[in-house]
Amino acid sequence: MKESLMEIVRCPMDKQELELEVIQRTDDEVLEGRLVCSECGEEYPIEEGIPNLLPPDMREDAPA
Amino acid sequence: MGDPSRRDVRETYDRIGGHFAKTRAHAWPAVERFVDRSDGVALGLDLGCGNARHAAVLADRADRVVGIDASRTVVEAARERREREGFSVDLCQGDATRLPIASETVGLAVYVATIHHLPTHEARIESLDELARVLAPGGRALVSAWSTTHDRFERNEAFDTTVDWTLPGGETVPRYYHIYDPAAFADDLRESTLAVERVFEERGNCYGVVRAEGKRT
Repeated sequence: MKESLMEIVRCPMDKQELELEVIQRTDDEVLEGRLVCSECGEEYPIEEGIPNLLPPDMREDAPA
Repeated sequence: MGDPSRRDVRETYDRIGGHFAKTRAHAWPAVERFVDRSDGVALGLDLGCGNARHAAVLADRADRVVGIDASRTVVEAARERREREGFSVDLCQGDATRLPIASETVGLAVYVATIHHLPTHEARIESLDELARVLAPGGRALVSAWSTTHDRFERNEAFDTTVDWTLPGGETVPRYYHIYDPAAFADDLRESTLAVERVFEERGNCYGVVRAEGKRT
């Protein structure tokens, strides 16, 4: 994920701004990290460069 | 199997996504026409981007294109296509009914062959309302869904159905569809907060060109 995408993405639940926590990056991309909602605190993972901004109840680890 | 959920739809495409993406090589003519006739914009959105074949078309008119899909497998197929063909698209996983995009930012959007996978009327309207929310002033979008007018369907009114996807090994994976009739499709667009510029039917699909503002209530 390019860091400039932060201007466009928002928390899918309350549409508030997200804060970026970088775990691993290259010159132009965040490869691993988290997007954290500045309002509700929900965390959205960035894995292999792709942010997962699915609402919590639609994620893989959510109870069926 | 109980009622399908949006989560089920994501899981379906996580299973078939790799094969699905390979069979979807070309952009749809209606999408190419819509984008060709549009002015340049700062931000384009491909909602339900699949393998990003339409994101690649949007990239001709938008400084930046964001592609969103619920399925991780499908998003990864889009990334492979992006690397292979060398166009630019920012990809993320997201849900059409709860878009992770700032309001009033999108100048040009395509929401193609995706809304018919949302299993309830409420979810389909929510997704259209979300599209209205993210469209910038003056922004326009093309929405499409499979239509009862397609050769493979014999009914004339909207209905819910399951269409199997067959994987290369012969295994079939059921996919939920709401098949719209053109009148019901237009009704849903009008019920949402979008303003409808025009609707048309082409090659077994319902289409609507919509805007964010100018909605008459």
